[in-house]
Amino acid sequence: MKALRLAVYAALVAGWIGLAWLLWGSVVPDGLVLPHVDVDRVFGAELVARTERYERFLLILWALGIVVSLATLALYARYGGRFAEESAAGPLGTGMLLGMVGLAIVWLTQLPFTVVGLWWSRRHDVSHVGYLDAVFGDWLSLGATFVSVCVALLVVMGLARRLGSWWWIPGAAVFTAIAAVGVFVSPYLYTGLERPDDPGLVARYQRLERVEGLHGVPLRVERVSENTSQANAFAFGLGPSRRVVLWDTLLDGRFSDRQVDVVLAHELGHHSREHIAKAIGWFGLFALPGALLLMLVTRRLGGMGNPRAVPLALLVAAAWTLVTTPAQNVISRRVEAEADWRALEATRDPQAARGLFREFAVTSLGDPSPPTWAYVLLDTHPTLAQRVAMADAWAARRSR
Amino acid sequence: MRRVNPRSPHPVRIVVDDDLRRSRLTVLFRLILALPHLVWITLFGIAAFTLAFVMWLAVLFERRAPASLHGFLASFTRYAVQLTAYLSLAADPYPGFTGSRPYPVDVEIDPPAVQGRWGAGFRLVLAVPAFVVSSTLGGSVALGSGYGGALAGGVGGLTATVAFLGWFASLARGRMPRGMRDAAVYAIGYGAQTTAYALMLTDRYPDSTPGMVQPPPELPTHPIAIGVDDDLRRPRLLVLFRFPLVVPHLLWLTLWWVLVVLAALAAWILALVLGRVPRALHRFMAAFVRAVTHLSAFFCVVGRQFPGFVGREGSYPIDLTIALPAPQRRPGVAVRLLLAVPAFLLASTFFVITLVVGILLWFAALVTGRVPGGLRDLGAASLRYQAQAWAYALLLTSRYPDSSPVLQPAPPEPEPALLELTGLA
Repeated sequence: MKALRLAVYAALVAGWIGLAWLLWGSVVPDGLVLPHVDVDRVFGAELVARTERYERFLLILWALGIVVSLATLALYARYGGRFAEESAAGPLGTGMLLGMVGLAIVWLTQLPFTVVGLWWSRRHDVSHVGYLDAVFGDWLSLGATFVSVCVALLVVMGLARRLGSWWWIPGAAVFTAIAAVGVFVSPYLYTGLERPDDPGLVARYQRLERVEGLHGVPLRVERVSENTSQANAFAFGLGPSRRVVLWDTLLDGRFSDRQVDVVLAHELGHHSREHIAKAIGWFGLFALPGALLLMLVTRRLGGMGNPRAVPLALLVAAAWTLVTTPAQNVISRRVEAEADWRALEATRDPQAARGLFREFAVTSLGDPSPPTWAYVLLDTHPTLAQRVAMADAWAARRSR
Repeated sequence: MRRVNPRSPHPVRIVVDDDLRRSRLTVLFRLILALPHLVWITLFGIAAFTLAFVMWLAVLFERRAPASLHGFLASFTRYAVQLTAYLSLAADPYPGFTGSRPYPVDVEIDPPAVQGRWGAGFRLVLAVPAFVVSSTLGGSVALGSGYGGALAGGVGGLTATVAFLGWFASLARGRMPRGMRDAAVYAIGYGAQTTAYALMLTDRYPDSTPGMVQPPPELPTHPIAIGVDDDLRRPRLLVLFRFPLVVPHLLWLTLWWVLVVLAALAAWILALVLGRVPRALHRFMAAFVRAVTHLSAFFCVVGRQFPGFVGREGSYPIDLTIALPAPQRRPGVAVRLLLAVPAFLLASTFFVITLVVGILLWFAALVTGRVPGGLRDLGAASLRYQAQAWAYALLLTSRYPDSSPVLQPAPPEPEPALLELTGLA
């Protein structure tokens, strides 16, 4: 039995490494050296100082929020089991209740940080969301979070009750499958997206689509300008559900057409390089050891089949997420850098890219060169300075 | 603050001496016949609410209502009860205009008693939840009379629905259905207590416990019964997050509902052929009705615990007992949905009552960590009627829903003591 166990672990480790190697590939040239960027010169010393002030406060708030939520979850892991008495729903339903209550308590403890963060963003004119809207909307959206946690617990507890300590292998697979389904259907469930009404924008998008080797990926616009002045865009969906979405704040005149083209090419780059499918693969790779850790830690409470293990599982899941965040961010930044590279290849306009990244610092008050710890823990994209450096590097290679 | 023993009889008690028979002629013209009363109660109401202010000052300073003022306002309350009963078809005779003559649906009001100053000072604020419940039940013309909107403000909600349905029933059969009459009387009783509380006739808060009527109304046996085996404590955290907590259930029940519709269609066809619903289909749909009741009880804070997902009998403190399938008459099965329309009309009123009760219980539980028993029981009774309506529509029973708002059968009359029997007491 022990030999079998070792063989399974060895096969999983080998498979893990092999898949990670496959997913790690990138079109950014190996050995690309990014030139040094003088952020004060590129972004302006005043803007840099302003973004640092703005982000410093949010970083402190984030750190405090993390400490409070982990402390809350630790207390909940110790005492949360008593909420089982409030359930008449059997083991699975009780586990769901304990999971939801844990999240509800964390939500309550994070509420002051949410409000203070909103106050700070409103003070800097980055957000226009009202306090009541934020709190009440957040409270309502808890329902969706609860549904997710219920589904997750249903899978984990259901498998754990049937398979005992081996649940984590099929569990990780089921989670990955659910994530894939979620990613596929999310564009169909996402409301408030509109077709762009600018024929010029559509024509430029279609040209970039062809350059990226894609066809028939719809472009949509999301109206967010009532709530924020930040500019953003994103790509989501899989196969026939793929979409590229621009926030209308990108189209309000602050960004030139050439800069918007860089954004479009970046998002199309995500689709052409199959980043979303790869993200699902990475999710599975992180879910596997995460599930193993859950199984090992909750074993002394009778395993994940026991609803009273759920509070501890929440703490483990939160800690696991925090611990693996730097690694996940490394992967995310690599993927984003690849999309930037694809955008430069498609638009061949490094000047526009430089201007775009500088404008991002103005509209979003993003620090072009954040502290290292914040970069490691929080940044899912290369810093704005690194992105400018990549545009310079692309231009330098082309001029050679 | 003065403490009140909740077991002592309420100073405002509704008394019923009605035989359910209705004159078709007066029922047909009931609203027109009541027009003089509606004019009169508006005038009477203006006088009563003006004097209530004087009464308020008197209670605030003297802690006791002057007997003459108390008598006047008690007459007004009594008159309002009689008129509401007449309008909602809970009683048949044409009421007098002074509230001094006996009536089949009448109210007894205790003489003036000592009242607390704090409670008197903030009476109108304290009465807000009672006003909310009372207006949902629509049990008092008096509460609408002060501003001349007797019909709009006083008779609405449950009594309006009962009056509407009872009008057709009384015209057809010459009798008011007992359950509907009892529902109206309950609403009227609560309205009378609210009126008396607002007019400073008593400082005892209105009691929403269903069935607080003399003599206690019947609770006929029904294939769909509700049982309440829950305490009144409510953990605040679970109360605060009530809405998001039920979202997973709502999604699950929505999916289940799709299958129930198909099952109901199959049950309908099979019941037409076989004269009864097959047990498997009956069990499937009964579990759904039970699961909805469990969830509604939890959502509206009527129940304390988080319910299960499968509607298992005996799994929840507010539980539904659904009898096994029984033979059903085919004509009744054939037109079941049509027959269920009045029941659903009343069920929708009970649904609103449940929601209002839920909102009030939510606030009460959040502040005190407990829910008032009377309001909890009203919620349970409302859920029962909705469950009976659904069970009837889904062919789980051929018995029509019973709208009597009674949760427990009346306790048996105490045996006379030996000393009483021997005349030595």
